[in-house]
Amino acid sequence: MENNTTEYDVVIVGSGIGGSIVAKTLSQAGKKVLLLEAGLEAGMSFQKKEAFDNYMGYLNTFYEKAAKVPNSPYPNLKDAPSPDVLDIEPITACQPSTKGYLVQAGPLPFGSDAWRGPGGTTMHWLGSTPRMLPNDFRMKTLYGVGVDWPFDYNTLKPYYEMAEFEIGVSGSVSEQKGPDVDVERDYGENYQFPMKKVPQSYLDKQVIESVPSGFKVFFNGKEHELQFVSTPQGRNSIPNADYPYADIVWNKSSGKLQLQAEKRWNTFTKAYEHVEQRHATYSPVGAVWDDHQGHRCEGNASCVPICPVQAKYNALKTLRKSDPKHIAIRTRSVASKVLTNEETGEVTGIVYKKYENPSSSVFESHVAKGKIYVLAANAIENAKLLLASGIANSSDQVGRNLMDHMVMLTWGLLPKKAYPFRGPGSTTNIPTMRDGEFRKDHAACISPIDNWGWGWPKFSPGSDVENAVAQGMFGESLRNHIHHIVPRQLLLHFECEQTPEPENRVTIDPNYLDNLGNYRPVIHYSASDYMKKAFAEYKKVSDQIFKAAGVQDFTEYTTDNPDHVEYQGKVYNFWGAGHIVGTHRMGNNSKDSVVNENGQTWDHNNLYLVGCGNMPTLGTSNPTLTMSALAFKTSEAILNHLNS
Amino acid sequence: MDKHIPPRLDVFLDISTYLTGFPLIDLQSTGMAEVYFNTIVAHVNPQTIDQFYDACESILKLKSTEAINETIEKELIPNGNYAGLGQKIILMWYLGTWDGNVISAQSYTQSLVWEVAETHPPGAKQPGYNSWSEPPIKINC
Repeated sequence: MENNTTEYDVVIVGSGIGGSIVAKTLSQAGKKVLLLEAGLEAGMSFQKKEAFDNYMGYLNTFYEKAAKVPNSPYPNLKDAPSPDVLDIEPITACQPSTKGYLVQAGPLPFGSDAWRGPGGTTMHWLGSTPRMLPNDFRMKTLYGVGVDWPFDYNTLKPYYEMAEFEIGVSGSVSEQKGPDVDVERDYGENYQFPMKKVPQSYLDKQVIESVPSGFKVFFNGKEHELQFVSTPQGRNSIPNADYPYADIVWNKSSGKLQLQAEKRWNTFTKAYEHVEQRHATYSPVGAVWDDHQGHRCEGNASCVPICPVQAKYNALKTLRKSDPKHIAIRTRSVASKVLTNEETGEVTGIVYKKYENPSSSVFESHVAKGKIYVLAANAIENAKLLLASGIANSSDQVGRNLMDHMVMLTWGLLPKKAYPFRGPGSTTNIPTMRDGEFRKDHAACISPIDNWGWGWPKFSPGSDVENAVAQGMFGESLRNHIHHIVPRQLLLHFECEQTPEPENRVTIDPNYLDNLGNYRPVIHYSASDYMKKAFAEYKKVSDQIFKAAGVQDFTEYTTDNPDHVEYQGKVYNFWGAGHIVGTHRMGNNSKDSVVNENGQTWDHNNLYLVGCGNMPTLGTSNPTLTMSALAFKTSEAILNHLNS
Repeated sequence: MDKHIPPRLDVFLDISTYLTGFPLIDLQSTGMAEVYFNTIVAHVNPQTIDQFYDACESILKLKSTEAINETIEKELIPNGNYAGLGQKIILMWYLGTWDGNVISAQSYTQSLVWEVAETHPPGAKQPGYNSWSEPPIKINC
């Protein structure tokens, strides 16, 4: 084993949004950062030509893939494999599914994927960025379910603002509504998002108009007003002239990260510059290969898996803002073990395996050394690495409480054409089921209106053509059939908040290793009655919406779908949301949590964890914004730690 | 005429207009005609291809569109006939695929299903900011 003698202030594992926020913030504050990335350097290049060529390679791969699933454009390396939804299959009793990277021990297969490579899973995320609700932080106190967070909404509020700056959120603050939403309380009197809302789709408007005003849906024994809200999202729109901030800077004297208007980081000069008053408006961040491209969403309708113009945020945009004087990046470097001093508990290094050829099992081991260590490798990988190292687990919570939004989909045909398969994946959501007393009985959910027809559950429109042709349709009748059906397709999501369950977990097993001899994650996963009851209630909600809007229901749940459950005699299917959360949760004490409110592990003073794994509960919001807010909070804590 | 144009490309295109419901000019303007023609050559045995085009030629000689369509339905559409070429040709034009595999990046971006669905292939031919908040523009030309 070779020891790298350079000692950094901070060693970070992973270049996704969590790792990139920490790398950017610390290097801009002058700290020496080493970033380890398991994937290939081609994806990390910030030279214009290389970055462009590599990204166009991703796009071409996307075009050529038959199944355009979230990971389809991106390389799946033997030496740093990624979970893939195409590997999901039914699990038979006592026989784990080992088809893909994840070893799925069941009883139900975990339905979500992630990508291990430069930029991480933000390369294929959809980009929806609603905040969590204040009540989401107090689930145990209010509803007797799950656990409370170690702090309340207000504690996270300034960090939410930082995350919204960093991601570049487009949205309308004043339009936000729904249960437990109070704009003035939640956002402050004059708060604005950096960019104006992404226009809601024609399809959204057709659905909203087709439901009578004041329409109520009945669930959990009560009527609830059906509302529709424009979804805040991390894709470029028209800059908001009222947005006051220029950048996030570290204020050493106050020990705080601050959004301010006086200076901003210049990506080209790699230094802060003074902001002239006339330039104070927010500038959209464009493509990593050319900042003049991607200043507006262009309506490619392929956000998942790839935005061809990078108008959608991805973590490379943040990583590119790191100060190159203070950051070293090592790619093809797979963290495999965290070393600790058994007496002091201090982390002393991270062993990583450096490969040349991503398909070869040949590697060299190195040790990365720093004062502080940050694992930001996604919730499954962080848990796996901790378990493989036998550390940070005095609470026995590492790997436990794995959560996702279990997405029950419903689909039908609108009475009139609304023209799906256009625009961002979703621009409107129904917040009605996000909070209420019903959370004592069953899961809450957010319900986005999908802009991409039946693509997710049915692979439309390809499958519509294949089925019609298989039935003997051809020529004009085929053309008319597709022309009549596809533009009327409607898909609703019911993204149900999974609660923390100790037995939904990531474990490791020496029988299951990858090409480099690193552990493959073993996933144990199931749906509780709290979730199943939510499916039953929300299918009824869907029925009521469809009836009011004149939608012909084509939803079909089968036992052939690997993720199927039965509840009170009926079968329901759910899909993974790609929201991998909860495997090293934060809390108030070392007995039942892995990290404190700053992401610092209770067991190891100089080890911090970043990512969705820290979240004690999931809420109904897409977790990336909240995780990014937490990453800023952790960055601030690390800066104070280093300066103390 | 360019001597490199494969023989019977015209038969392939003519029968494709009936199979897909698209006029010749729409098929030609995809730029995919020769690629699809050659995809068949690469995957199907030559004798079957000849028999298929022979059948197509006699069908195309029929007097009425009705007769042509009726005969196509009986002769070319059943999967047991001519190695399923009738259906496979439709799927090539509509989806850019052969046996479920995308033939090329271009075959995806040029696939006809998106036009029929009144949209564009996701990830290509993007219609621009805010376009999705209005009904699609009908381009008549």
